[in-house]
Amino acid sequence: MTTTTLLGELKKRGVKVRRRGERLLLSDLHGALTPELRAAIDAHREELLATLDGVERSEVSSVDSVCPYCGVGCAIRYFVDEAENRIRYADGRESPVNHERLCVKGRFGFDYTSHPERLQIPLIRKESSYPKGPLSTEVRGDRKRRPGGLVDYDEVLPHFREATWEEALDLAASRLVEIRDRDGSGALAGFGSAKCSNEEAYLFQKLVRAAFGTNNVDHCTRLCHASSVAALLETIGSGAVTNVFGDVRNADVALIAGSNTTGNHPVAATFVKQARKSGRTKLIVVEPRRIEMADHADYFLQINSGTDVALYNSWMHVLIEEGLIDEAYIAERTEGFEELEAVVAGYSPEVAAQICGVEPELIREAARTFGRAERAMIFWGMGISQHTTGTNNARCLISLALMTGNIGREGTGLHPLRGQNNVQGASDAGVIPMVYPDYQSVADPAVREKFEQAWGVELDPQPGLTVVEIMGAALEGTIKGMYMMGENPFLSDPNVNKVRKALSNLDFLVVQDIFLTETAEFADVILPATSFFEKSGTYTNTDRRVQVGRKTLQPPGGARLDWEITCEIGTRMGYPMEYGSPEDVFAEFTALAPSYAGLTHENLGLTGKLWPCPDPSEDGIQVLFGDRFPTASGRGKFVPAEFAPAKELPDEEYPFVLNTGRRLEHWHTGTMTRRSRALHAIRPGPVVDMHPADLEALGVEDGELVEVASRRGSIVLPAARSDRMLRGAVFIPFHFREAAANLLTIDELDPAGKIPEFKYCAVRVSPAS
Amino acid sequence: MARQGRDEQMIGLTIDGRPVRVLPGATIWEAARTLGIDLPVLCHDPRLEPVGVCRLCLVEVGEPKLTAACVRGAEEGMEVRTSSERLEVCRRGLVELLLSDYPVDVSRLPKTGSDALVELAGELGADWPARRRSGETGEAPGSRTEPAGGIPAGDGRALDHTSKVIFVDHQACILCDRCIRGCDDLQVNEVIGRTGKGYRTRIAFDLDVPMGESTCVSCGECEKVCPTGALSLRGWETLPEDAAAPGVEGWEVL
Repeated sequence: MTTTTLLGELKKRGVKVRRRGERLLLSDLHGALTPELRAAIDAHREELLATLDGVERSEVSSVDSVCPYCGVGCAIRYFVDEAENRIRYADGRESPVNHERLCVKGRFGFDYTSHPERLQIPLIRKESSYPKGPLSTEVRGDRKRRPGGLVDYDEVLPHFREATWEEALDLAASRLVEIRDRDGSGALAGFGSAKCSNEEAYLFQKLVRAAFGTNNVDHCTRLCHASSVAALLETIGSGAVTNVFGDVRNADVALIAGSNTTGNHPVAATFVKQARKSGRTKLIVVEPRRIEMADHADYFLQINSGTDVALYNSWMHVLIEEGLIDEAYIAERTEGFEELEAVVAGYSPEVAAQICGVEPELIREAARTFGRAERAMIFWGMGISQHTTGTNNARCLISLALMTGNIGREGTGLHPLRGQNNVQGASDAGVIPMVYPDYQSVADPAVREKFEQAWGVELDPQPGLTVVEIMGAALEGTIKGMYMMGENPFLSDPNVNKVRKALSNLDFLVVQDIFLTETAEFADVILPATSFFEKSGTYTNTDRRVQVGRKTLQPPGGARLDWEITCEIGTRMGYPMEYGSPEDVFAEFTALAPSYAGLTHENLGLTGKLWPCPDPSEDGIQVLFGDRFPTASGRGKFVPAEFAPAKELPDEEYPFVLNTGRRLEHWHTGTMTRRSRALHAIRPGPVVDMHPADLEALGVEDGELVEVASRRGSIVLPAARSDRMLRGAVFIPFHFREAAANLLTIDELDPAGKIPEFKYCAVRVSPAS
Repeated sequence: MARQGRDEQMIGLTIDGRPVRVLPGATIWEAARTLGIDLPVLCHDPRLEPVGVCRLCLVEVGEPKLTAACVRGAEEGMEVRTSSERLEVCRRGLVELLLSDYPVDVSRLPKTGSDALVELAGELGADWPARRRSGETGEAPGSRTEPAGGIPAGDGRALDHTSKVIFVDHQACILCDRCIRGCDDLQVNEVIGRTGKGYRTRIAFDLDVPMGESTCVSCGECEKVCPTGALSLRGWETLPEDAAAPGVEGWEVL
């Protein structure tokens, strides 16, 4: 055996050989290193040392970037094999955000970007594949898919033909223009993405507003914190967090409300757990599931789903009754306290206990602990926002903070934990139907004039439709053409059977994505885009920290940069959009968004800056609203809320309450994480979590298949025995298309935030024999 | 962190003859860092509370005994020496003891090129034990198992392949507790602890179950802080195909 054949043999078996000084180092993770191979390595020792000289050091380069997953926005260093154009591994780097910490997704979930299924060539639907409808047999409902699968390329791709970029872009632009000129601007709509950068978000909404001529532009913020933002804007005049999560170390009490923090914001959770462990911070957790955070809590209130308003009204009742409110703060900084007082008077702990299902004494104790704190911080997640009472839920938390003077100082604040890595930024950049960049109202004539001048076109004065409303309009036929950049409403929106009909009903759909998604099955044109790792841009995390994501890999094949594609479509629609680089786009955006004034890619550096940042030599302002709120009166406003039950309560036919959400290892519709080997290996498929007694009553063992059905659809998946659940409640993650939770969910909306009630609907569970 | 400043309360000391002022509470190791002197460490990481178990950061402070700089506080007027023949001999001896049962086929180096123990051995000119130098690797790694009831010897400590992302080689563990502090104090997952006594001491997950069956959430902090090949990245390429690949059912994980 020669050295070359030996190395080949080792490579074939997955054994890696490296040189360190005069030693050979072997990685043998498969146990494939046979005694014969070992002997051969010994025999070729000198030659191997010579051959391997210097290989290990030159092999990887590193790029300082950020994580593509959640709103925490951890700073990451990626180690890249440039020759193979692959990330080898990732490590956390020092930053005020994560102090080198990462979670499983950030550390191990990057390999999706190098997946062989990446789209590389523009695709156009074949003539023979009209009339439009879902293409894979499973989405059509013809057969049940094998567990673990994503979109089946073999079934879908034959319905498309490859095209040049010229042809695909021309077709997209001409069809969109045709619809606009025939049916009016209101017949077009666009879904942007909270996974794309600020620059891409800015250009996307500009395209829809200036070239499509409509405000029908929205993104998944609608499905996540729309109600929180509605409540925050109404009460304190700003939709962003008032303090960064890391400041929990200075809080006496942290309240976690409706957030499975260890699963969904794992690195932020570590700071909360650390504060609790230090002895400084008491932790109160309010959740219908006994989540891992509850294991760390001083007080855990396992309330019935959707009863938050009753609980927090009761807390406020106790605080007022026991004099644990900040009279001076209420007098100087707020308005509307009397109205609130009148409403919460009706919510004694005894009343709330009946609604929430926790003991009145526990409600009192938790309220007192919160009220006695010198400094308290409130964190919340989708458990607050994704209800038809979502805006009311958030209003209650805000009132609680205002009443106790817990906004505007170190160790205090309101922190709705943002979901996507750039949901804060995409919202800041104006991918919202009612506002231009930086929350400037489209209905305000002065604001509109400013943007008309900046963009050189007349703009639509009517606020646009929101995500679920756009789907409704598509179903009715009033929306006819859509451009989707990196969104997959087929899995992410409530009641997907309705979404499917709506998508089929569109005259024209352009989908721009990195993989074939369920939504792309309904497309006329599919444009292959670049992943997070293949482009540079800025991303704004949950703390308002604007950070630069740096290009780490080369895009595959003919995939193009998202911002370039958006500009090409605009230009071809007769609205020239030409930029030299993401920096140029960022400069145009920051000039129109006062909160971002002064920020540039260059001064953001390696660890980014918080907006607002009046002095770019500093890190930006961490604690907002120390003196006044950005409301008309400068005061924070109490908006009282009465408890109202969820829209679809359990009954005899559908006796269980369904709660949906995410798992630590997966991301949203799974297009990324299910293509990551590590994440898939850890959690390959869906389960429905159920209380042991409920499983027993059904006669179902842990791991056996059950059918979960609502009035809108049904799915089959294995049951998981979980003593973290309340009786009568079930939890299903929405990542898995073979058991899509959103087939079951209800598309009822919160009246102010227009957010669907993902966290509550009635279902039936039965053994699937 | 560098605790250097101009406060009245500052403590003045000299390190290798160079004066330095630090805040009260700063350790000698931190004081040395402000002068750009990186004392060798295996058990310490600036993000963790120091525990002073590896003793590699030993320094002379004019006392009969050498002292561990990572835990010893800086004192007013202290004269610290960070290098001398005596210190070199001690450090080299410590590293050689750690190398004496360190596995050659450790997997950390090929993955990340950052096995601090092996790097330190090179810097200090430590001798590898004779059987290591010959390139003989002992038992095949896949077959290394802990003898029931007996005292582990040579390559006798177990490997744990059960986690999908982290590869555990108890033989390469030097019991520095960095993983334990990373898991408990930084990520506050509180999965890793120690089990056993004396020579049988090793790290354990939960109540000593394999890593892959424990409540580990795979954040990787333990691998990040591990200074040896005890906890290393498996790497995505060692895992079976993902969900998009056909026939995902029925694969086996090592």
